Amino acid sequence: MNETMVILGRLGAGFWLNFELFALTLLFAVPLGLVIAFGSMSRFLPLKTVVKGFVWVIRGTPLMLQIIVIYLGPGLLGWQNPWPAGGFGRLTAAVVAFAINYACYFSEIYRGGIESLPKGQIEAGQVLGMTKRQIFFKVTLLQLVKRILPPMGNEVITLVKDTSLANIIACKEIIMMAKEYTSKGLIWPLFSTAVFFLVFVGALTLLFSWLEKKLNYFR
Amino acid sequence: MALLEVQGIGKHFGGTEVLRDISLTLEKGEALAIIGSSGSGKTTLLRCLNFLETPDAGTITVNGEQLWDAANPATQRESEKRKKRLHFGLVFQNFNLFPQYTALQNVMLAGELLAQEQPDYQKNRRQIHTRLESEANALLAQMGLSERAGHYPHQLSGGQQQRVAIARALALKPDILCFDEPTSALDPELTGEVLRVLRALADQKTTMIIVTHEMAFARDVADRILFMDGGLVVEEGTPAEVIEHPREARTQRFLANYNA
Repeated sequence: MNETMVILGRLGAGFWLNFELFALTLLFAVPLGLVIAFGSMSRFLPLKTVVKGFVWVIRGTPLMLQIIVIYLGPGLLGWQNPWPAGGFGRLTAAVVAFAINYACYFSEIYRGGIESLPKGQIEAGQVLGMTKRQIFFKVTLLQLVKRILPPMGNEVITLVKDTSLANIIACKEIIMMAKEYTSKGLIWPLFSTAVFFLVFVGALTLLFSWLEKKLNYFR
Repeated sequence: MALLEVQGIGKHFGGTEVLRDISLTLEKGEALAIIGSSGSGKTTLLRCLNFLETPDAGTITVNGEQLWDAANPATQRESEKRKKRLHFGLVFQNFNLFPQYTALQNVMLAGELLAQEQPDYQKNRRQIHTRLESEANALLAQMGLSERAGHYPHQLSGGQQQRVAIARALALKPDILCFDEPTSALDPELTGEVLRVLRALADQKTTMIIVTHEMAFARDVADRILFMDGGLVVEEGTPAEVIEHPREARTQRFLANYNA
C-alpha cells in the first residue's frame, strides 16, 4: 500500500513536468502563432514565402526529431551549448521546440479564422475612422476567438499527450518515470499514467465547452 | 460653394473600367439618390467617397478641403485617410453591425475610441462616456429603438439592425451620410421602417447620398437624382426630370423595368 502511494507520488511529480511543458508551450505558442499567421498572410511576397516554407518544414517533420535537433543541434554544429545544464536545460529546450511546433499549427488555425471573417466587419470599422489596431482588438479579435475555439481545443488536447515526447531528451516526465518501474518488472504504473492524462484532458474539455458557452451570447 | 465636389473620378479593377469621369456636387442639406442597374458603378462610387476604394483619377473636395487628388500622392497618405473618412458616413447593404456588441455599444464604440485619442481623455473619462451614451440613446430613440438598446444584433430583425447601423453612422456626425442600397437585404415588409427613417433624415436636411433601387422612394425623398450606367453619369436632375420625364434612351429603358 505504502509503495503504491510512493509510486503514484513519483508519477504525479513526473506529470507536473508534463504540465509545466504544456503551460509554457501555450504561453509562447499562442502569441507566436499570431505573428506567424500574419507573416503567412503578408502581401510582402518574400516574407510570405519564407514563413510558409518554415511552416511546411515544422509541420512536415516529426516533433520528436525537432526536439532532438533543438537540444543537440547547437552542440553538434560546434556552437556553444545554449541550454543550461541538467533538467532545467532539457525542459527549456523542450519548451522551445514545442512552442515553435505548436505555433505553426496555431498559425494555420488563426489564418483560417481571420480569412473566414466577413470583410464587411473590417470595412465598417474603417468607415467609422478606426485604426487597424483598433479594428483588430475591438472588432475582429473576439469574433476570431469564437471561431477558432473548437479547433484550438483539439490542438490543446493533442499537446497534453505530446508532452510525453520530451522524454526523448531525458526530461523526467510521467511516461519516463513509469518506464523506470517497467524495467524493474512492475507494469501497472505505466498503464496508470493514462488516468493522469484522462483527468487533465477531461478538465480541459470542460474548460473549452465553458468558454464556448461564454461566447454564445453573440453570433 | 458646394459641400461636396467630386471631379472626374475614375476607377478600374484590372481591365474593367468601373467608373469613368464621374463628377457631381452636393449642397449642404441636399439628398441625392443614385439609381442604375447592377454593375453600373453606383456602389463603387460610394466606396471611393469613403476611401474603401482608391480612385485612379479625379479629386474629392469637402468644404473646400481637397481630400483626394489622384494626381497628388500627398493627399493619399494612409495615415490621413482615417481622418478624411470621418467627413463621410456609410451605411452598408448588409448592415455590418459588430455582433459582439449591443445596439447601444455599436453606436458608441467609434466615438469612444476617437475620444480616447484626445489628450484630456483620462481626466474626463466619466463625463465623455456619459455624454456619448446619452447621445447614442437619443439616436436610438430617433430610430424608434429605445427598447432595443441592450439587444445584440442577432436578436434584432433586419430592419432594426439597419436602423442601428444608421444610428451608428450618425453618431460620428459626418458631413455627408452615404447609403449603399440600405433596403436591398431586407424582406419587403421591413423596407418600410428603414425608408421612413431615411425620409425623416431628409426632412431634417441631412446631407445624404442614397444608392437605391426603390424608385418611388427616390422620387419622393431625393432633391436630385443621378442615373448611372456603365460607369458614367447618364442623366442628372430633379426627380420630376429624371424619373417622370427621362431624356436619355438608357434612362427610359432602365425605368421601364420599374413602372409596372
